[in-house]
Amino acid sequence: MRARTTPVASLARRVRSRAARRLGALGALAVLVAVADLLAGRSLDPGAVLEVLRGGGDPTARHVVLHLRLPRLLVALGAGAALGLAGLVLQSALRNPLAGPEVTGVTPGAVLGAVTATGLGFAGWESPAAVCAAATVGGFTGAGLLWLLAGRDRGDPAGTAVHGVLVSAVLGGLTAMVLLVAPGELGSVVQWLVGSTEGRVWAHWHLLWPWLLVWAAAVWLLAGPLTLLRLGDEPAAAAGLATGRARALALLCAVALTAGAVSSVGALGFVGLLVPHLAVALFGADLRYALPGAALTGAVVVCGADALAQVLSRHLAGWLDADRLTLPVGALTTCLGAGLLLVVVRRAPDRTF
Amino acid sequence: MDLTEPPGISVEGADFGYPGRPVLRDVDLRVPPGELTALVGLNGCGKSTLLRLVAGLLRPDRGRVLLGGDDLARLGRRAAARRVALLHQSAPAVPGMTVRQLVRQGRYAQRGPLGMLRDGEDAAVRRALADTGVASWADRPVDALSGGERQRVRLAMALAQDTRVLLLDEPTTYLDLRHQLEVLQTVVRLRAERGMTVVMVLHDLGHAARFAERVVALRDGRIVADGAPKEVVTPAFLAEVLDVAGRVGEDPHGGWPVCYPDHPLTAST
Repeated sequence: MRARTTPVASLARRVRSRAARRLGALGALAVLVAVADLLAGRSLDPGAVLEVLRGGGDPTARHVVLHLRLPRLLVALGAGAALGLAGLVLQSALRNPLAGPEVTGVTPGAVLGAVTATGLGFAGWESPAAVCAAATVGGFTGAGLLWLLAGRDRGDPAGTAVHGVLVSAVLGGLTAMVLLVAPGELGSVVQWLVGSTEGRVWAHWHLLWPWLLVWAAAVWLLAGPLTLLRLGDEPAAAAGLATGRARALALLCAVALTAGAVSSVGALGFVGLLVPHLAVALFGADLRYALPGAALTGAVVVCGADALAQVLSRHLAGWLDADRLTLPVGALTTCLGAGLLLVVVRRAPDRTF
Repeated sequence: MDLTEPPGISVEGADFGYPGRPVLRDVDLRVPPGELTALVGLNGCGKSTLLRLVAGLLRPDRGRVLLGGDDLARLGRRAAARRVALLHQSAPAVPGMTVRQLVRQGRYAQRGPLGMLRDGEDAAVRRALADTGVASWADRPVDALSGGERQRVRLAMALAQDTRVLLLDEPTTYLDLRHQLEVLQTVVRLRAERGMTVVMVLHDLGHAARFAERVVALRDGRIVADGAPKEVVTPAFLAEVLDVAGRVGEDPHGGWPVCYPDHPLTAST
């Protein structure tokens, strides 16, 4: 029998553990895609970017890298992490492999909030705080609607999924109505609907990171209850978990994280739905590891997609001879995500998770 | 080994029902400390509901449930789960979990939400893995196990709760005869080793008569028979409790009653 371990020995074992190695590898990958994202833009060649990073470069290059590309990169990483976490929390709390912020009314609600604020002129694209507040209110409204409608079916994956699709459809319809009434700056509004990291500046990042930090920490403290909720309500309750309270807290965190992501990059499709599957495949269902894993995976996915979208934009612009063409990262995640979702559904047709 | 007496169970005048559908009516049940009791009855007679009342997962509409003198209604969920563990009849699949991780989840009641974040497993997990004979495959994924192996793992998770009261809801369902006997003998052995009060719902009257010290029968939400297997398991018992005509003999070696069911008496309702 093993002797009682000291904290140091326990830490050493943790560092050696497979989960820790994978987290490390993902972290390295995140750095890699971050650098790629920084280099991928169109207006500067990689050499000039590296020049700026070494502290040199002309003022224009410095502005582009330090005030446009860097905040955009950080916002992409942060939003990806938030969506990955929110998705894993939702899937665990609702015991539903097809739950995600997109299909539980949270993202559509946040988009409605942001579009209403922007479209009706309460807040401009350039005043992120007001948009952020509106998206948060919208996200909670969407989740609240689902909570009320699902009623007694809250523990039942199928019932929740059906009600979630219903709520999302209604909120999407309301968003369309707002757009018809107040077309306003349609260009920027479309960015909410598809999801884009274009034009994100330090103001967005300064709003995003404290919010993300607080809620990610809260979520990690809930790792124990969330792991239990994945076992089903009755087994979790028998093991001593007050399931109702745990689920309500988890949903609160998921909505807050989603609202933060949506208010900074819009409705990035499929990230919150698919990243959790990757994270559980890599880290298992012990959420002490899978939650940080989902955050890192989400960051890597969104940041990587952003880099890819920029490279594709450059080539597409060349082919189509359209100078100002930009491919929003949300279009890319949605296309790639749909393909991946098909794989997930085909691979595990008869499983709850 | 804990030599103190485990808590007994007493259910006092408990009613329970859903709107328009009473399930339990005026149930009185006293299980003395350390006894192994089997609950039997037809499908829907309320035996699983009674088990949930004793586990504190459901609250009686009237009456009360005491564990060793403490009213369950006054205990929080975690405090209740430190006193009583329940093995469910069936549990959903849990992809992505190893045996050790799943069994560790049984420690929630003792450790609490923040305690679960700490790494390292405690003695109770090791003991539960060893006691159920699953220690050698502790690092295999639960999903890769057979039904019988999985049931032992779930028993280990309940044991990791380290309670003195253990409830089992049809622990042998879906298992072949060999694994049924394996699970029941493990329960009997651990009850003696750990000093636990055990109540289990069993469908197989043969198992109940052989392994339990006492058989309690429910019919339509009421207790209709209660006593040692030899006293209560009779042809009349088969008819009144299970709606079956049959004969009852005696095992030539062990002396426990053996049922020879013949045919159902009435169409089930």
